[in-house]
Amino acid sequence: MEALSCGEQRLGSEEEEAAPAVGVSLCDSAPLVWRMQDLRAVRARGLVGVLLGSLPRTPRQNGRLGRPLLLLPEEEGLLMERRAAAALPDRCQDGGGAELRQQYEEEEQRSFEEQSVLALEDRKSALLRAMTGAESGAASADEALQRRLQALDQNFTFPQSAMAVQLSTARAGLSYCPEARAFLQAYGPTGAEPRCDIRYQVFRDLRGRGFYLTSAGKFGGDFLVYPGDPLRFHAHFIAVCVSLDESVCLLDVLAVARLGSNVKKTVLLCSPGPDASVCYTSLQWSGIV
Amino acid sequence: MNMTVTRTQRSAAVAGRPGIMADQNNTDDKGKFYSEILSPSELFAARSRSHKIPVRGQKDFFPDDSDEQKQRLEQSLNEHWSLVSEERVERLGNLVKGEWIPSEQIVELQSPAGKFWQTMGFSANGKQCLLPEEALYLMECGNLQVFYQDLPLSIQDGYEKFLSANTVSLQQYQVFGHLKRLGYVVLRFDPSSESSSYARQLNLPQSRDRAGRTLKRKRSLSPAPSSTPTATCSRAEAQEECSTEKMEEDKCNEGEEDKKLPEPPEAQSSADEGGGRSWWMTDVLGDSDKDSGHGSKSVSSCWDFSSISFPDLGSTSREHFPGGLAPPDPSLLPGDLKVGFCDVGAWRQKINLRQVKMSANEQKKEKYRRRWDVNKNREVRRCRNWAEYQELMARRKGKREGRPAHLWNREVTPLHDPTQPIATGELLEKISVIKPTHLLEGASRLKDADDWRICFNVYQPDTVADFKKSNPGKPYSRMCVCSFHDPVPDLRAIKLLAYQSGDIPVVIAVVDYGDISFYTFKDFQLPTDVYP
Repeated sequence: MEALSCGEQRLGSEEEEAAPAVGVSLCDSAPLVWRMQDLRAVRARGLVGVLLGSLPRTPRQNGRLGRPLLLLPEEEGLLMERRAAAALPDRCQDGGGAELRQQYEEEEQRSFEEQSVLALEDRKSALLRAMTGAESGAASADEALQRRLQALDQNFTFPQSAMAVQLSTARAGLSYCPEARAFLQAYGPTGAEPRCDIRYQVFRDLRGRGFYLTSAGKFGGDFLVYPGDPLRFHAHFIAVCVSLDESVCLLDVLAVARLGSNVKKTVLLCSPGPDASVCYTSLQWSGIV
Repeated sequence: MNMTVTRTQRSAAVAGRPGIMADQNNTDDKGKFYSEILSPSELFAARSRSHKIPVRGQKDFFPDDSDEQKQRLEQSLNEHWSLVSEERVERLGNLVKGEWIPSEQIVELQSPAGKFWQTMGFSANGKQCLLPEEALYLMECGNLQVFYQDLPLSIQDGYEKFLSANTVSLQQYQVFGHLKRLGYVVLRFDPSSESSSYARQLNLPQSRDRAGRTLKRKRSLSPAPSSTPTATCSRAEAQEECSTEKMEEDKCNEGEEDKKLPEPPEAQSSADEGGGRSWWMTDVLGDSDKDSGHGSKSVSSCWDFSSISFPDLGSTSREHFPGGLAPPDPSLLPGDLKVGFCDVGAWRQKINLRQVKMSANEQKKEKYRRRWDVNKNREVRRCRNWAEYQELMARRKGKREGRPAHLWNREVTPLHDPTQPIATGELLEKISVIKPTHLLEGASRLKDADDWRICFNVYQPDTVADFKKSNPGKPYSRMCVCSFHDPVPDLRAIKLLAYQSGDIPVVIAVVDYGDISFYTFKDFQLPTDVYP
């Protein structure tokens, strides 16, 4: 966790009040977001990220994935720059102690008891529904119903194996207290590769203009640029980041333009200028045959 | 300490605020930080929840700030969040329990493994164990609950504890999970289980558990089955050579073997007059006179063949050899060699005396062959001994058209002799100075490098039914994992990977954050469109 700076805390800045800080956990040096509140906060800032995990509802498919959410380096950088990313405590300390264990067992027991009550009620209501549905209101039927309900009360057992348990997604009981959170260090171009820096500046500028961005490796570019939330809109542009003083191979330009037109997107060559502006050039077939 | 918080929140839930934990139910975000722990009633209710994924509707083209669009976006987002926020709830009886052993970086099972045991896990010291990536995947699938210090680990704990440089990286796990979710069987690649380069050179049988592969490899590489045809083939060739040599005739090997080419085209016409039969062919006796007469006419011949009798053991007329062969004229024999009377009776019994019946085609061929009879050539006949004949051959060879002598009498000679006919394909092959190379060529000499390594053996989903961990057989492919920002592997790396993998294709899984693309480098033989 060398990327964290512990001392700097700027509470009360205007942005922080607008949206809560995003808790980020590092896994194998990748910034992952686990808690729902953090996922929502990321989206509220117009950042999309990528879901990596199996979807709990139907885990064995790749079409829709679930938590955790992986942040692109640029997204992480933007959060850090805005002091909106907080590193969550690394992992629970080893040796929680007997107290925690006892606590866990008690909770399990309580959950079991409560669930067996619920199961009994569930069974009773099912019985009621079945009986009333079958015979309508005769006195003998009522009696039979009462007897069966009583029998159910006496004989019902809720096996331990039938108890439903939760496999928590986010680490249980993450404390969220503003005083304790460690802000991730502000993103700085120093030391970063020039290529990363270019990407970051382009990302920052496009996000600042209200676009949503995702990674565009599959399209041979740096970012896919969406006019609105990717849930509702298709991407319009493929952003390719190039330095202003870098000469570009014509074949590369042709290749990416061809690819872009094939997927009905416009290719944008994006080059950060000297005065913190970004120069955009779009590529289009001239139409002259 | 996190568990303390768990407790307080749970107590709160129990104390009369059931339902607060379900994220999707909670609209009052501000100031509240749910820990996403479900109450018992929610857990109970989750038993009958849907397993369907809501279908995403048609996307809009451009945001126009209309209320309709906003509403649709909100609905999509709500659906999205409810799907993503859903917690895993399983019946305790359906869960396999395991314990995380950090010192060994494995998960030890504490209740019997489920169906997954067929394709995952291993036994050690009488215990069922899972590798961290397998355990994490099963946790994500809701099949396994892993405990550490008697407390259950969340999925997040799993990611943070199980994935490391010592086990598998996050990217490798992404690829593992992606393939597992598609149904593939994915096992860690163990370089030591592959035969060493030395063993492969010797074609040694591999260890027991790779028996299936060994068999296959043996079948394809062992020379045994092919040896028989080769032998017969070479024998046939040898016979052919023998016969052609015997006949002093050579029409098929004119292309390759200069030495055996006794009759250059120019000699043909002079040989023609001979009448089409060798002088030693005695099935028609009359011809021999003519031929020998022809021979005696030649200036330099020192033999009077009319006076020399050549025995014909196969002759049908018995009177030629009443009792046996008379001793040959001593003047024809070298000094102190004495040859006596020879009884040919025994020999005649061993000879096939039946007349050779030839088809019209064969007769034609035979006739054609005889026209090339080296002995009909006048120059050849003029040769008095072997040395003179060879000299003649050398002279003729040098004179052959289209071969400037100065190109051929040096150390470096042209790749092909234009006078010798050759199929176009073979010629192209012959004159190609830069030969195409294969991926595996020279790979055994390369030194191992650490920058690229194979991570997984992948087996196809349709083999799952009869998959055996103890004898997994030949993988469908082998998987390397890299990032989109990593450099493309160079030829050296590809060669090394291909060599390490043997005959199984190496696939490179390129991870672009969430997206995974699979690429492979394959040997490609350029097609040669040549009509012979």
